[in-house]
Amino acid sequence: MSRFNRRRFLYTAAGAAGSAAVLSALGRPAFAQNRRIRHFWWGNPDRDARTFRVIEIFNEAHPDIEVVGETLGFADYFTRLTTQIAGGNMADVIQMGYGVMFEYIQRGAILPLDEYSGGILDLSQFDESALQAGTVDGKLYALSIGANSHMAMYNTRLYEEAGITPGNGFDPYGWTYDDVKRIGVAVREATGVAGTDDNTADYQNFSDFVGQKGAELYTADGAYGVTQEIVEEYWSIWKDIRDAGATPPGPATAGLVGAEMSQWGIVTGQSATSYAWSNQLVGAQGLMQDALGAAMYPNTAEMIPGSVVQPSQFVCLSRDTVDAEAAVTYMNGFVNDPEMTEALGLERGIPSNAQVREALAPTLEGAAAVSVEFFNNIQGKTMPLPPPPPSGANEVEQTFERIAVGVLLDQVNISDAATDFLRQAEAILRRAG
Amino acid sequence: MQKFLRKNAPAYVFLTPWLVGFFLLSIFPILASLYLSFTQYDVVRPPQWVGLENYQYMFEFDYRFWKSLQVTFTFVVVSVPAKLIFALAVAMLLDKGIRAVGWYRALFYLPSILGGSIAVAILWRQLFDYNGVINSVLRFFGGDGPYWLSDPRYSLWTLIVLAVWQFGSPMLIFLAGLRAIPQDLYEAAEIDAAGPVRKFFAITVPLLAPVIFFNLVLQMIEAFKSFSGAFIISGGSGAPLDSLLFFTVYLFNEAFSYFRMGYASALGWVLLVIIAAFTAIAFWTSKYWVHYENERG
Repeated sequence: MSRFNRRRFLYTAAGAAGSAAVLSALGRPAFAQNRRIRHFWWGNPDRDARTFRVIEIFNEAHPDIEVVGETLGFADYFTRLTTQIAGGNMADVIQMGYGVMFEYIQRGAILPLDEYSGGILDLSQFDESALQAGTVDGKLYALSIGANSHMAMYNTRLYEEAGITPGNGFDPYGWTYDDVKRIGVAVREATGVAGTDDNTADYQNFSDFVGQKGAELYTADGAYGVTQEIVEEYWSIWKDIRDAGATPPGPATAGLVGAEMSQWGIVTGQSATSYAWSNQLVGAQGLMQDALGAAMYPNTAEMIPGSVVQPSQFVCLSRDTVDAEAAVTYMNGFVNDPEMTEALGLERGIPSNAQVREALAPTLEGAAAVSVEFFNNIQGKTMPLPPPPPSGANEVEQTFERIAVGVLLDQVNISDAATDFLRQAEAILRRAG
Repeated sequence: MQKFLRKNAPAYVFLTPWLVGFFLLSIFPILASLYLSFTQYDVVRPPQWVGLENYQYMFEFDYRFWKSLQVTFTFVVVSVPAKLIFALAVAMLLDKGIRAVGWYRALFYLPSILGGSIAVAILWRQLFDYNGVINSVLRFFGGDGPYWLSDPRYSLWTLIVLAVWQFGSPMLIFLAGLRAIPQDLYEAAEIDAAGPVRKFFAITVPLLAPVIFFNLVLQMIEAFKSFSGAFIISGGSGAPLDSLLFFTVYLFNEAFSYFRMGYASALGWVLLVIIAAFTAIAFWTSKYWVHYENERG
C-alpha cells in the first residue's frame, strides 16, 4: 500500500475539484439582439400549446419583432425567475400571479406601464376592476390576462354513480362542509373512490374559510388577522370529514401538498373532488376522460362569502427588458388582438377585455363553457378583493402547509398546531416588515 | 524574475483558461458570498450591511436552522458508514477473482454516476410511492408497506438507502486498495492458521486504513453537501414535517423562495465551517488509526 500516501490523497482530491471547475466553466454564451424579446410563463401542456400559437401569430404579424417563448411548471418558475433577477437577465415579458406579484413590484423587479397607455398599449376596453388589481400606489404594473375564482371540481360520473346531481341533494353554489362530508361518504360507498380531497393543508381553502368567518387574513396595518379559534375550527372541520372516510388517508394527502395538476386527486382518480382555481378547469379536463363539474368552495351554514374574483395571472414588463416598446407591443396584442386572444381562449381565466369576451362567447364548448356558466352563477356570492397581501405572505402560506401536515398525520393536536402556526406567522411578518 | 518567467511563462499561458475560470467562477463567488453573509440582500435592491445579524438570528431564533442540522447530521452519521461498509463488502467479493470482473465493476459503478441525477431522484419517488414498486412487492408477499415518503418516520431512510446505493466510487477505490495488499501476508497468516475474520482485522483493515480514511473524508463531505435527492423527493420544501430539510435544501429555500440571499450566504458559510471542522477532526483522529507504510520507523 505504498502508493497511497498523504500527497497522493491531495492529488486525487485536487484532480476531482479541477475537473469540476472546468465543467462549470462551460457556461451559456450571453448575447443580446435588438427587437428580440422573451416571454416567460409557467404553464401546463395545454397552456403552453396555446401560448406558443399566440407567439407564432404575433411574429407573423410583426416581422420586425421576434418573440421567443420560455416555459416551466409552476413549482420551478419562481426559482428560475429569482435566479434571473439576480443575474439581471429576466425575460422581457414575465407572468405573475396575484399575491406574489406584489413582492416583485415592491422590490422593483417590474416596470410601470402608464407611459405606454393610450399609445402602443390600448386599455380602453379593459375592465376597471382588472386595472385596479394591477395598480400599486397609483401606477399600473400588470395587465390581467384572466379573471379567476376558487372552484371545486367534481367528477360527474362518480357523483352520478352515488346518485348525486346538482339539485338532488347537492347545490354547487351553496353547499356546506357538512354536505362535503355526506356526499364524500356517499361517493366512497358507491364507487370505492374517496369523495373529496382533504384540504387540511390547503391554504386556498383556508383563506376562503377566514372570509366565511367574517375575518380577514391581513389587517390594514399588515398584521395577521386570523384568530386561534378560526384555525382550530378549520382543521377540526376537515378532521371530521377525514375521520368519516370521505377523503384519502392523511398520509396520502400529506404527500400531495403543493402538487402539480397532474398529481391532483381528481386527475389521478384518487378522489372525486379537487379544489383549485377556476381557470385550471380547462387544463385539468384536458388530462381526464370523465367530464368535470364546477362548484364553489363549500361554506358554513351562515353562507358568508369567502371567495374572491381576482385576476388569475398578469403579464408584466420586467426590469431587465432589452426593448420595452417591442415588449409592450406584444403585451398589447396578448390582451387585445382578436386572433391572439382566440388562441388563448379561457385557459388563463375569463378575459378582462369586454370585446374579447363577447367575441369568445359563441366559440366555447366543454370545460370552457362550464367555466363561463360557473362565473355567471357566482355573481353576488363572492366577497370584495382585499388589499394586496404584505411582504412575507408567501412564507406564511408555506408555513401553514408545513404545520398542517403534522395535523394530517395526527402528530400534533389541533390546538397546539394552531398556536404554533399563528406564532410563526407573526414572526415571519415581523421579520419581513 | 526574468529567469522564472522564461522558464514558466508557457505553463502559465496554458493554465490561463483554467485560472480565469477558477478566479471568476470559484474565488470571486466565494468572496462575494462571504460579503453577502453580512448583509440583507433581496436580489433586486442592493445589499445592505447588517453586520453579524444574520448569524445572530440563526443561532438564537431560527429553529428551522437547528432542525436542518439535525436532519443533515442524522443523514451523514448513518449513510456514510453504511455506504463504506457496503462498498468494502462488495469490493472484497469482487477481489476474489470472479469471472468478468470488469463487467461487475462497471455495473456497480453505474449508480455512482447516475445517483446524483434528477432522473434517479424522480425514479426513487416512484419506487417508494405508496402505490410504487416497493409496496407492490411487499403486497405480493402479503405484507403492506407504509407511506415511505409522506411519513416523517420513514422519509429520511429512503434517502439513506439512495445514498448507500451509490457505493460504486468508494468501492472502486477499495478494490484498488485491496489489490495492492501483498498476497504473501495472507499466505503467511494461513500458515499460522488464521481464519478469515482474523485475516480481515489483522491484515486487510490496517493495510487498507489509508484508503478507508480517504473514502471516509470524501464521502462525509459529499454527504454534508447532498442536495438533489432531498430536494426532488420533498418537492423542494423539506416536507413532510421538515424531515427531509437537509441543510442545503433549507439554504436553497431561504435564497430562492424567500429572497434572503444574505441569510442564505451566511448559512453557506456555516456549512463550510462545519465541514472543515469535521474534516479536521477526521485528520486528527487519523494519527491514531491510519498508518502509511512508507513513513514507518
